[in-house]
Amino acid sequence: MSHGYVPVGWTTSKKLYDAVLLLGVGMYLAAFVHFGAGDDQALRIKALGSCAFVLLTLVLAIGPLARLDKRFLPLLYNRRHAGVITCALAAGHAVAVLGWYFAYSPLAPLDALLVADTGSGHLRGFPFIPFGMAALLILVLLAVTSHDFWLSFLTPPVWKALHLGVYAAYGFVVIHVALGAFQQGDAFAVEVSVLAPLLVGLHLWSGWREWRRRKAAKAEWVLAGAVGDIAEGRAVVVRFADAEPVAIFRHEGRLSAVSHLCAHQNGPLGEGRVIDGCITCPWHGFQYRLADGCAPPPFTEKLATYRLELRGLDVMLDPRPNPPGTYVEPLVVA
Amino acid sequence: MSPADFFVGWDRRSGSANFRFLAVVAGVVLLVLAVLGGVAGRFLPRDASLFALSPLPPAEAPIDSVTLRGRISLRPVATVFVAPDASHPRMHSVLLSGDGKSGVSLAGSLTDGAMVSVTGLLLRRGSIDMLVVGEPVQPLAEPAIDVPAPVSLGRWRVAGEICDGKCQTGVMQPGQGLSHRACASLCLIGGVPPVLVTAQPIAGTQFFVLASADGSAPPAPGRLAGLPLLLEGEVERRGDLLIFKTDLGRAMLP
Repeated sequence: MSHGYVPVGWTTSKKLYDAVLLLGVGMYLAAFVHFGAGDDQALRIKALGSCAFVLLTLVLAIGPLARLDKRFLPLLYNRRHAGVITCALAAGHAVAVLGWYFAYSPLAPLDALLVADTGSGHLRGFPFIPFGMAALLILVLLAVTSHDFWLSFLTPPVWKALHLGVYAAYGFVVIHVALGAFQQGDAFAVEVSVLAPLLVGLHLWSGWREWRRRKAAKAEWVLAGAVGDIAEGRAVVVRFADAEPVAIFRHEGRLSAVSHLCAHQNGPLGEGRVIDGCITCPWHGFQYRLADGCAPPPFTEKLATYRLELRGLDVMLDPRPNPPGTYVEPLVVA
Repeated sequence: MSPADFFVGWDRRSGSANFRFLAVVAGVVLLVLAVLGGVAGRFLPRDASLFALSPLPPAEAPIDSVTLRGRISLRPVATVFVAPDASHPRMHSVLLSGDGKSGVSLAGSLTDGAMVSVTGLLLRRGSIDMLVVGEPVQPLAEPAIDVPAPVSLGRWRVAGEICDGKCQTGVMQPGQGLSHRACASLCLIGGVPPVLVTAQPIAGTQFFVLASADGSAPPAPGRLAGLPLLLEGEVERRGDLLIFKTDLGRAMLP
């Protein structure tokens, strides 16, 4: 930890982020309802549902975009806000459906939900509502566990595994639309058939780039990059197929390598910077000394350190980690 | 991106260069959302059924507190036949339903063919009228009016969609298609008369009361509601009421 630890509150960035998102959602809904035709309730249902899908696509696109271009990182740090807004839209869609198509029946809306959308024995008419319900349940689970409290309570690996469930939710939504609106020829089904492949393509692209980097990093001592690639006070991240990623920092003409994962909540240390002579995590400001990966006293967190060598202008990294807190003499480069 | 432009989650704001980049991203996101919303809404099918090739007549405004006196028929569905007038020279047939997604509630003592007085909200669309009965159906002690004998208009193979009669008369717009399937299914479970909407007019209409091949109410039509179907059956006219008698077990999904 560090004396500089700052719980992330409502910063200006977060307020702007949410304001843009809410404005975008408002513009989408207003445009949909303005240009659409039909009864108000059906329009509202379709506007909310399709907007939730578009926003969910955007949420899932942020990860690969940030891997391809670091300037997208601020969007990644606040991605949970977009996820919660998506969940609210999806819940609004479900409530509107329950309050319209499933209302005014002798059956309670939730009972009606279970008995009305039955199979016809053919693919056309295959129940599509259960897939939407499954997606909504996942989104609600992710939204309610999105706060840092749950990240800490569940531990980062469990929390991350849980939140990968968003991809299952996305798949269910695609099936929900494919069996419903798509067969009806609704225009927003075209959004799904365009946006979903784009999203898959974006993931494949960023994954391919990462695979190439990892493949290049399989040798015992690996080329981490040119000295000139590492900016003062910043880091480059070297990723491996079967080991933790490593962050190589430059500070006052010396290089030091530590684990890329913060000991607090697995935050991306390599995306942080050196402040007051310490590596500073971009998530919550946890700090570590460059040479031994230890948090400054009285704090006790430690990171694994790594050995570095200079060959000409190339920085070579030994990917075998030292025990956390092991002192490694920084590599003088200038 | 210089170190000064790097965003830190707990900083008050990101660096100026990154801020400019993010401002452009925000503008693009806003533009894309507005355009996507407009396009999706604009090109939403006006008529959600794949088979509704022929435009349906628009629903007329409901008329509240209408009282009808006529002869009730319980087969295939609860219908009141009102004596002919200038606008309905073949008699005026009005389907009956209850409030919400419920069929009309009739006293057990009410017999098929009795004269009754019914009051409620009149829904109209094309050739189909429905009364949402708001008060108990009153039997009348008067001689029953004559209803013309059923006339067969021949066997037909039609493309169409099964819906509940209430939504087709204008309660829902468009009240068709897969998105409306569960709603229609609930109405049919609740006892609202089933209606077949054909892709092309037959005998001048696209609305037919759906019946089994023997003329009784069809069993569980809700499972096929909202789907484009190919059906074969006999069209029958009773007064101005057109009935499509078919075996739903032989319905085909194209």
